[in-house]
Amino acid sequence: MTYELNVAHLYGDLMNTYGDVGNILALNYYAKQMDVHLNVQVVSLEEDFHAADYDLAFFGGGQDFEQTIVAKDIQTKKAELIKFIESGGPLLAICGGYQLLGHYYIGADGEKLPGIGALDHYTLAQDHNRFIGDIVIKNQETGETYHGFENHQGRTFIGKGERPLGNVVSGKGNNGEDGTEGAIYKNVYCSYFHGPILTRNGDIAKHLLVAALKRKFPHDDFSQQEALPIPATF
Amino acid sequence: MSLRSGVATFAGRSSYWFLHTFLHGGSSLPGKITLKLDPQILRSLGAKYDVIVITGTNGKTLTTALTVSVLHEKYPTILTNPTGSNMEQGIVTTFLNAKRPKSGRPLAVLEVDEANVIKVTQYIQPKAFVFTNIFRDQMDRYGEIYTTYQKILDGVALAPNATIIANGDSPIFNSKQLPNPIQYYGFDDQPDRDFKAKPNTDGVLCPNCQHILHYHTLTYSNQGKYFCPNCGFKRPELTYRLTKLGQQTPTSSQFDIDGHSFQITVGGTYNIYNALAAYAVGRFMGVAPEQITHAFTANEQVFGRQEVIDVNGKRVTIILVKNPVGLDQVLHMIGTDTQPFSFVGLLNANYADGIDTSWIWDGDFEQLADSNIPTFITGGERYKDITFRLKVAGVPDSKHIVEPNLEKVVDRIQEVPTDRVYVLATYTAMLQLRKILASKGFIKEGLGV
Repeated sequence: MTYELNVAHLYGDLMNTYGDVGNILALNYYAKQMDVHLNVQVVSLEEDFHAADYDLAFFGGGQDFEQTIVAKDIQTKKAELIKFIESGGPLLAICGGYQLLGHYYIGADGEKLPGIGALDHYTLAQDHNRFIGDIVIKNQETGETYHGFENHQGRTFIGKGERPLGNVVSGKGNNGEDGTEGAIYKNVYCSYFHGPILTRNGDIAKHLLVAALKRKFPHDDFSQQEALPIPATF
Repeated sequence: MSLRSGVATFAGRSSYWFLHTFLHGGSSLPGKITLKLDPQILRSLGAKYDVIVITGTNGKTLTTALTVSVLHEKYPTILTNPTGSNMEQGIVTTFLNAKRPKSGRPLAVLEVDEANVIKVTQYIQPKAFVFTNIFRDQMDRYGEIYTTYQKILDGVALAPNATIIANGDSPIFNSKQLPNPIQYYGFDDQPDRDFKAKPNTDGVLCPNCQHILHYHTLTYSNQGKYFCPNCGFKRPELTYRLTKLGQQTPTSSQFDIDGHSFQITVGGTYNIYNALAAYAVGRFMGVAPEQITHAFTANEQVFGRQEVIDVNGKRVTIILVKNPVGLDQVLHMIGTDTQPFSFVGLLNANYADGIDTSWIWDGDFEQLADSNIPTFITGGERYKDITFRLKVAGVPDSKHIVEPNLEKVVDRIQEVPTDRVYVLATYTAMLQLRKILASKGFIKEGLGV
């Protein structure tokens, strides 16, 4: 393969609920079609994340217990993660990963757990309720429609500099109130879609891969990669 | 028995008789009626029995059936609940349906849903609990592995004298201090190494110090001879040990437990755990190893879940899949077939299947794509999801038939180039397929799962 990208699977051994690994598999599937080889590495507890080592990152969702442990550990990676994000590093964050990139989230037992504040959102809990079911959203800028399955207790409110990943066509979305789902900030994509998101929405995989390629190889032409057709899979 | 319990029991028994005489069945309604009349009915119904409760995510049904077979070697009368009736109502119905024991204290071996353990222990003090495993299961309905285990423990807390017979290879069963006597069973057939579980594995945090667990040996998922290099937490001493693993095929497994040789007519490492659990209960109850060997070989029908159907000369094995670990293990098991076979994956996402299909991404379809399977068929209501899963796994389009319509899937199955066909199906997809197979005369009944 002509190109190589280094992918950090953040806490891949702890944050893997709801088939999150499918995102890595789908990323690999589309990367191959773009003549790109992915080196995927799990970066877990007590391991360093160096922004310069990675071209792309994925951060999935976990069970409550695992997330409380990750919430503590991720503070040690905060500075480098922010460096990665601010320098345009493409990152996909799902559910717990999404919540931990923001200011804080309220855990299952009502405890307020800090995130890393890289993105300007926060997450509240809801009592005895989860948003569960199929969801469809539309991204206003690209006109793309995304299909997925949501299953989350947290209600997230996006903030400064963040655009929603899409507006809810059917389903609940970020908080069941404002009609938004997920968040985009620079090259960071956040969502509550499990399902997993990239397996049904290859366009997002393409955006992430192309952003990573352009960032790593600024002088190359990736128009062919950008033109890769993504047939519907849902 | 109080008057109230007596009236409730009579009403339940009458409705059971009515349902089964005139309406061909009904395993929860009689229990429901009885519970309505006397919510504490289990207290009087269960009082005469020594009760063994079998619970956990996977393997409850087969472990229960195997345990009953094993205990039958020593105990003539055993009450047990039929497949699926593992909630309170079904358990009440089971007791109502029982012939009244003439003398002595008969045994009841009950499969109990994780959240329903407390419904039993509120009224009955079991003699033993059997814990099979706790995995992620249909996440749209159940909680996480820790909350599932806590539900079981809430029930166990009401029966602190009952012996727990637990899967020692599962770290979660060693995560809480309990007053109960505990016996563990597990695999002990490999030399020690030092490694971690593969990244996509649940439940690998040390419950003591929250570091990632390491393993000396690992069977599947997060089960094995685990240890924490940070704090010294490790797998407990095993009471019952699988000492040797012999040949495994999709229809047979050979193994030694505590030095005794066994063979069961079903494949899959997960089923060896079920047999190991049944062995452990048998030994706990004083059944001799030779008797257990006899029970395993004499009762082949308890393995009936993996039914083989002749579809115009094709040997079709239908296997129910419902959660990630189960799926992964079934994929691994069919991979042990030495004969060529074709693969069919049928995916629905109705309530009984789990409405979230994300779990299919946790199965190792990649291994299947790498093997020499000539034909793959995908179908069912969510055929697009399972089709893309196989595509990503590396199945080439030239070998892949996409056929949403199950009627036509049955036609396609008859055209594959192999004699053997494995059909992996979710619950409602399996019911639909069986109905079609019945209408075409390949099987007698449409609903016998």
